[in-house]
Amino acid sequence: MSDVARTTEVAAADSPAIVKPRKRARSTKAMIDRYSWYELVGIYAGMALFLFFVLAPFIEGFLVSLKPLGLLFSTPYSFLPVNGSFDAYFTMWQSVPALGMHIFNSFFISSVVTLIVVIIVVPASYAFARFQFPGNGLMLAGFLAVNMFSGAVLLIPLFRLMRTLGLLNTYWAMIVPGAAFLIPSSIFLLRTYMMRIPKELDEAAWVDGASRLYTLRRVILPLAMPGIVVVAIMTFIGAYAQQFIFALTFNSKTEFMPLPVGLFAFFGKQEVVWNELMAASFVGILPVMIVIIFLQRYLVAGLTAGAVKQ
Amino acid sequence: MSQLSLKRLEKSFNEAKIIKGIDLDVTEGQFVVFVGPSGCGKSTLLRMIAGLEDVTEGEISISGKVVNDLPPVERGIAMVFQSYALYPHMTVYENIAFPLRVEKLPKAELDKRVQAAAKVLQLEPRLQHRPGQLSGGQRQRVAIGRAIVRQPKIFLFDEPLSNLDAALRSEMRIELMELHKRLGSTMIYVTHDQVEAMTMADKIVVLDAGLISQVGSPLELYHRPDNLFVAGFIGSPRMNFMNGTVTSSNGTSLVIDLGTLGTLDLPRSSKIGAGQSVTVGIRPEHLKLGAGDFTLAITPRIIEHLGIHTVLYANLPAGENFIGLFEGDPKVEEAVAVEIGFALDQVHLFDQAGLAVY
Repeated sequence: MSDVARTTEVAAADSPAIVKPRKRARSTKAMIDRYSWYELVGIYAGMALFLFFVLAPFIEGFLVSLKPLGLLFSTPYSFLPVNGSFDAYFTMWQSVPALGMHIFNSFFISSVVTLIVVIIVVPASYAFARFQFPGNGLMLAGFLAVNMFSGAVLLIPLFRLMRTLGLLNTYWAMIVPGAAFLIPSSIFLLRTYMMRIPKELDEAAWVDGASRLYTLRRVILPLAMPGIVVVAIMTFIGAYAQQFIFALTFNSKTEFMPLPVGLFAFFGKQEVVWNELMAASFVGILPVMIVIIFLQRYLVAGLTAGAVKQ
Repeated sequence: MSQLSLKRLEKSFNEAKIIKGIDLDVTEGQFVVFVGPSGCGKSTLLRMIAGLEDVTEGEISISGKVVNDLPPVERGIAMVFQSYALYPHMTVYENIAFPLRVEKLPKAELDKRVQAAAKVLQLEPRLQHRPGQLSGGQRQRVAIGRAIVRQPKIFLFDEPLSNLDAALRSEMRIELMELHKRLGSTMIYVTHDQVEAMTMADKIVVLDAGLISQVGSPLELYHRPDNLFVAGFIGSPRMNFMNGTVTSSNGTSLVIDLGTLGTLDLPRSSKIGAGQSVTVGIRPEHLKLGAGDFTLAITPRIIEHLGIHTVLYANLPAGENFIGLFEGDPKVEEAVAVEIGFALDQVHLFDQAGLAVY
């Protein structure tokens, strides 16, 4: 800003009478952030194209939820909902009475998974970030290896395990494998974050008489909060997304079914109630959105500023 | 009685021996400075005293009690880190109060001590700020505040001023010395900056490659360095060295051949045999323009005019650097040879092994 002021001053000094310093609309931005109009058009056009690809299924899904069922099978297919309405959002609760239960189950399972993962991952990442112990490299590599198997490959052994433990047809059948598959990557993520917290802070606390746990609670946890929030969000989304396969395999009770499996109820014997199915999907995503918006407030950047001189 | 004593202290990381046997006694209230080049082990030694590094061999005792296996807090020490290591999410008040919170001190007593520390360090108006909002000097003071609230027997400083700019550094140096006077506690201070060592220390410990090179008061080290390393390390600009060979010795004087520079007849009772190579040292500030007991001609390559001093940089015929420091602003010019001399009683002599000969 001051640079701009100076250049205009200099320019004014060079040719005093002729040129008046022109006011520029973008003069409050740093030089590196300034773009000409065609560059801006290009940037936004690129973003729009990218966003359209990403969002197209959602847009179509939303439009479907507004259309009456008859319109969905008309030829030629009409993308725009002619005389559309939000009826499906009300009728779906009657067509599938357990829908509310399914949404709650999804939310409940993901929340418990997230809670378990955070409780386990925080001390584990701290240990991996700070302690040198025999086999830590091996264990990290092991965690990474576990991540290479998708849950689907391990379904049958997992099924036998669940049956032996007597967990089939309970909430635990979906919670335990869900958490197990999400812990390794979270440890990786949070460990990297914690390694960026200066080690001198641990040493200073140790010299001041704090125990390791006290240091973790009072010094490391508050500083690692943004990292923990990222882990929590990733875990919540991951748990929401992956519960389908575990629910389908390990659970046959309607009252424990999460939303992705519960949506099958819209598949009738004769026809699929597409508009209500889409409406239910959108309502089902809502809890995730709420959780993310809530957690995002804790994503404060630059929290470690001023800890050590870098 | 010595408050801190180190006995045959050794430290190895895997195979590498960093500290190779250190014996040292520090009496109560002394300001001791560990000084040495990077990698000499001075920081490691301090961290061993602090309890942040294990002792491989030997013994550390504080007030007569062996503390090798005690955690830092039970040793009665407090440490100030090079990087300050402040807790960025806590206010200045909470940062200073941290050790007392760990101790679970009653609230009133805690507040009293934090306020007292803040007063000493002039941090009172800053107590509710976060470290990120403070300047470098203020952060340093918070780090010191966190050390003094515990009222330790010994303060340890690990290069505390190396992150500050030059002006602030000399200011903080004075503040630290005043703090030492006021508290009267023992302070151990690590630095690579020999000016800091010379100005602050009661006692300087010069470390070189994991061993103590010399221990003494600043002026002892300056006037009577034990060896080549200390002679070259203490003093700024550094001492000039000239290589020579002893041609004869008679018990009262040594005749040293300095090659093309001439012959030096030095009064020394030492009986170094003829033919032995020696090093002659003379400090830049002991040179005079014009003839002296020994006179040589140099051609300055670069001249620095500092107003109070003028510094000449030249090369000797054999190629070694040669520096001259003269008061005021004498008439010298770059690339024009000048005659300089020095008195024989200012000369330092070192034998083949690098040990001083007096």
